[in-house]
Amino acid sequence: MGELQLRDVRKSYGQVEVIKGVDLDVDHGEFIVFVGPSGCGKSTLLRMIAGLEEITGGDITIDTKVVNNLPPVKRGIAMVFQSYALYPHMSVYENIAFPLRVERLPNDKVEEKVQNAAGILQLTERLQHKPGELSGGQRQRVAIGRAIVREPSVFLFDEPLSNLDAALRAEMRVELAKLHNDLDATMIYVTHDQVEAMTMADRIVVLDQGVISQVGTPLELYHKPQNLFVAGFIGNPKMNFIQVTGKKSGEDGVTVELPSGQELTVKVKAQGDVSGRSLKLGIRPEHLTLGAADASIDVVPNVVEHLGIHTVTYSSVAGASSTFCSVLQGSAPAKVGVAVATGLNGADCHLFDENGNAFERQVSIAALDPAEMHI
Amino acid sequence: MLHKYRWYEYVLIYSGVAVFLTFVLAPFVEAFVVSLRPLSSLFSIPYRFITDEMSFDAYFTMWQNVPLLWMYMLNSFFIATVVTVLGLICIIPAAYAFSRFEFPARNTLLGLFIAVNMFSGAVLIIPLFKLMQQYGLLNTYFAMIAPGTAFVIPTGIWLLRSYLVRIPKELEEAAWVDGAGKIYTLVRVIIPVALPGIVVVTITAFITAYAQQFIYALTFNSVNELNPLPVGLFQFFGRQSVVWNELMAASLVGILPVLFVYVFLQRYIVAGLTAGAVKE
Repeated sequence: MGELQLRDVRKSYGQVEVIKGVDLDVDHGEFIVFVGPSGCGKSTLLRMIAGLEEITGGDITIDTKVVNNLPPVKRGIAMVFQSYALYPHMSVYENIAFPLRVERLPNDKVEEKVQNAAGILQLTERLQHKPGELSGGQRQRVAIGRAIVREPSVFLFDEPLSNLDAALRAEMRVELAKLHNDLDATMIYVTHDQVEAMTMADRIVVLDQGVISQVGTPLELYHKPQNLFVAGFIGNPKMNFIQVTGKKSGEDGVTVELPSGQELTVKVKAQGDVSGRSLKLGIRPEHLTLGAADASIDVVPNVVEHLGIHTVTYSSVAGASSTFCSVLQGSAPAKVGVAVATGLNGADCHLFDENGNAFERQVSIAALDPAEMHI
Repeated sequence: MLHKYRWYEYVLIYSGVAVFLTFVLAPFVEAFVVSLRPLSSLFSIPYRFITDEMSFDAYFTMWQNVPLLWMYMLNSFFIATVVTVLGLICIIPAAYAFSRFEFPARNTLLGLFIAVNMFSGAVLIIPLFKLMQQYGLLNTYFAMIAPGTAFVIPTGIWLLRSYLVRIPKELEEAAWVDGAGKIYTLVRVIIPVALPGIVVVTITAFITAYAQQFIYALTFNSVNELNPLPVGLFQFFGRQSVVWNELMAASLVGILPVLFVYVFLQRYIVAGLTAGAVKE
């Protein structure tokens, strides 16, 4: 089994607290991705689960056993490192066999397990080679093989694909997802690449400065970010934010006034009195249109990128804190320096209060997420 | 880097190299030439590079004149080898600890080791003599080996530590996650990976041990059979005359072990000294 619980897990280096109380429940067989910007503590948290970093406070439980003070090998975990951490002087076979040699398993058992792992990872041909003779993707597979032979409850991956080039990364992503299905194992995966997070995860844990900002399925994070941080972090290009003023709240949503004076009703759950409150409107670049919409913003592009399938514009807009980006379908008639009326629909927008917390949107994840649909 | 030298730059570079090489190699050449000359033509004036009756006779007669010569050479080699082995046994775990573990006074200790290095062994000869005398260790191999070992350890630790800190930490973490203990990791992972560094330390220790044994042997040992080569060479100093040609022949033969060690291991030295200098 591979269940993992974190209860108020904390980590301090001297006076500096880097993990500030993390609670998380992971079920058997889940693929969990920790994602966040550099320095958010995602790798530290993973290393704490692995047993490479001491836990300052709280409890980590793996399969109903508190493992806080156990060495890594007693925790039932296996870890794959970013730099692969292969032993350069040993053959691929010995690298994969290393954990078994430590256990002093008899040779025939070792042979069987290594061959099995090599088969899964298509390394059978490479067993007698040294890691130095392998390509990046193969080295990464050897590192995974070393994890597989231990048959752990939980696999831990620390940015395993970040050393690979883009094409290989896409390939390995598919292989890892397949491996996850084949092994029926719990996997915790750390990355700063949100594409990896969105494509592989059952659930994503977004970390921000040592706390969990939100936990949810990829589409939940995309459609219902709970705060500004998650809204800005998930999605590429990132969500645009515009300073707006609250007008009124009702069953059909919250009406706000844009900097241009236009009014827009954002489809969120009814709130209390919002009139006069200074709110933040969020709209993803891909939800902006050139056609008719609930409201429009005049956008003067500074840069226009024609990608064929999309046209991406970057502009400065009143009320927006950073560059306002829009992704328009096809070859849109956008020119540098020429104002375009860009439309936004209230149903696509997100609304955040003064503290950066989102008003819950009136969308049902079940209607959007194929995983939740009962077809 | 693309750089073409002009012809006069080549001339300058090569004449510079020639001057240095002359300084370094001239004594060896002279030693070799002297070893070939008969004693009678050693002091001919004016100096002549080639003299009559040059032969390799000295290389044969020296074994008869100083019958224990082979013993001295063996002693030299033996003492240097034991010093190196004992030194490595201390250096490897110590350097590993200094490079990886956090413990109180780590840097102070490292500083102390460097400080020890600044003393020449000669400064401590008298106290060491008293010590050896009290414990009855004079005139043993131990008396020549122990101080020698003590003096190769600090340099060794510094050399190897700087090599070990460059080995990625993940390697040990991976081993630790896989259940390997510290000793297992050291033996199965760190030592093989650090082999080039260890070879460098081995050579340095061996050469140091080979060179420094003279002073310890001279002070702590008066048993002829235990003497290493540098002390043994004194046998060529007769009452009236010095048998220069045989002395030089014996010296050259005495250098051979170091030369062999160096030739066999030098490819590791280059690899070891430059490893990690450039990102691979």
